[in-house]
Amino acid sequence: MAAKKILVADDESHILHVVSLKLRNAGFEVLTAADGQEALELAQAQRPDLLITDYHMPQLSGLELCQKLKQDPATAGIPTIMLTARGYQLDPKDTQESGIARMLSKPFSPRNLLTAVNEVLLEAAA
Amino acid sequence: MKFVMETLVRSGKILSILMVTCLVGGMLCSIGSLHSLWSSGRLDLGMLGPVLFVAGGAAGLLAITSFRRNCRILIEAIHRMTVQGKLNNLQTDSHEIRPLISAVNDMVEAAERCMSDAVLKMKELEIQLKVATSERQHAQAIIYSISDAVLVTDTFDELVLANESAARTFQFDLEHSRRAPVEDILRDEKLVEMVRDMRQSNSKTGRRIVEHKIKGPGEEKIFKVTLSAVADDNDAPAGVVTVLHDMTREKEVAEMKNDFVSSVSHELRTPLASIKAYVEMLIDGEADDEKTTREFYEVIQNEANRLSRLIDNILNISRIESGLVQINKQPQSLMVILKEALEVIAPQARTKQISLVEQLTPAFYQTSADKDMLYQAVLNLLSNAVKYTPERGTITVQTTVDEAKRKVITRISDTGVGIPPKDLPFVFDKFYRAEANNHMAKGTGLGLSLVKHIIETVHRGRMFVESHVGKGSCFGFELDLSD
Repeated sequence: MAAKKILVADDESHILHVVSLKLRNAGFEVLTAADGQEALELAQAQRPDLLITDYHMPQLSGLELCQKLKQDPATAGIPTIMLTARGYQLDPKDTQESGIARMLSKPFSPRNLLTAVNEVLLEAAA
Repeated sequence: MKFVMETLVRSGKILSILMVTCLVGGMLCSIGSLHSLWSSGRLDLGMLGPVLFVAGGAAGLLAITSFRRNCRILIEAIHRMTVQGKLNNLQTDSHEIRPLISAVNDMVEAAERCMSDAVLKMKELEIQLKVATSERQHAQAIIYSISDAVLVTDTFDELVLANESAARTFQFDLEHSRRAPVEDILRDEKLVEMVRDMRQSNSKTGRRIVEHKIKGPGEEKIFKVTLSAVADDNDAPAGVVTVLHDMTREKEVAEMKNDFVSSVSHELRTPLASIKAYVEMLIDGEADDEKTTREFYEVIQNEANRLSRLIDNILNISRIESGLVQINKQPQSLMVILKEALEVIAPQARTKQISLVEQLTPAFYQTSADKDMLYQAVLNLLSNAVKYTPERGTITVQTTVDEAKRKVITRISDTGVGIPPKDLPFVFDKFYRAEANNHMAKGTGLGLSLVKHIIETVHRGRMFVESHVGKGSCFGFELDLSD
């Protein structure tokens, strides 16, 4: 079975690096994007199995990215894990409507992130 | 008194006419009798009656003359009192009118007592009026000096008193608004309703505090409105005092504080997130070779430094803002400080092949400065210039001295990306980062805010910035030369 493809979007290069490494070590294929716009283009072109995105990004925020993906039938089914450094919770309505499966607040544990990735992929397969 | 005198005079006249008539009658009778006596040649005792009558008439005439004289004296004395405006006791030698004089004198004394009582009362009232006037002026002065808007309305909801702040807030003419209906003054339906409700509540000492937004000529303002019912001396409701405290700025400051806290926590979490993630990766053995392990350690170290810098900046800004920072100002050569900062930044500039150009005035020009702080400010500006200047660019550090104005001006110009005009007014704001240049470098958005504080708050200088997108930016500051 081919490795699952995961797109990681974050403007913090260290975070991007550490998340990619954790996922690659766990056997996933990883794509990276440094802002929302780049992530949107990559998602449309590569159709990843899962998106991990930061909320606070230049050009296009994490939420706007999810909403755009949801509008396009080709990318609407991609489940998302949202990372946020902000102390607030997103509106549950936004979360549901944008296909956000999990929310992890920064600082986060790569270990917990990996667990969440596996759970979301299992849910998506079911 | 006048009436008494007139009656006296009038009755005196009638009496004298009567007496004179009797006297003349008596005389005619006596002459007639004497004549018949003479002609008859007998003179008897029966003739004595008319003689006595004549004598009585003469005595009466004398008495009338004396009475009239006394009356005149009395009138003159009373006239003198009227002219002099002074009440005096009347004197008389005549025992005939003594009881009258004594009665008049009693009356004069009673009148004098009444008058002195009245004068005393008047003085008392004058003092009370003065006290009341000064109290009123005092109260008005207090009301006028209050920066909050104050409006006093009566039981008819008409304006009794207002201060300038109220006139400014509701834009009415203070001088011509007395007795104006409150709805003409306030022009805010809800507020008018509040005043009316308070008045109609018939409360004597009631108080109500509400937060209320009022749309002014400019922006909407938020007021804390305090409505107090006022009672008169008889404890009956007399009106309403309305005080409006402008809370707009306080709210803004509270919002800014909230934004600041939320920005700080966001900025602190970002490096912390990296540190935590990398440490966990090391613990979990995810870095499988020495190169990766070393890379992880370096990331942790850099992010820890970033965190520490961030905390330093936040603390420095807050210390400067609250005036708690210890400032050690000494005469310093700005050029020496600039040279030191240039030496420190040179390695970073070299890696990007950026040339550093110095155009400095001689070192003997001195300025009163806190060396560490000024060095920090210059280093921040130079570090920004290196960050936002592409490879092989140029950074020029120039100082000029204005001998006439006793000022030294420092300019740090680069050939970098420049700042979009829409961002330029905000570059010195805390946590503000021009989005267009976000990709160029990591930053906390606190560096320039700190620089501005160091130049303007600590050194009473002036900070300025000029920038053109694609051409470069010039950050500069002006400081006073020390004597």
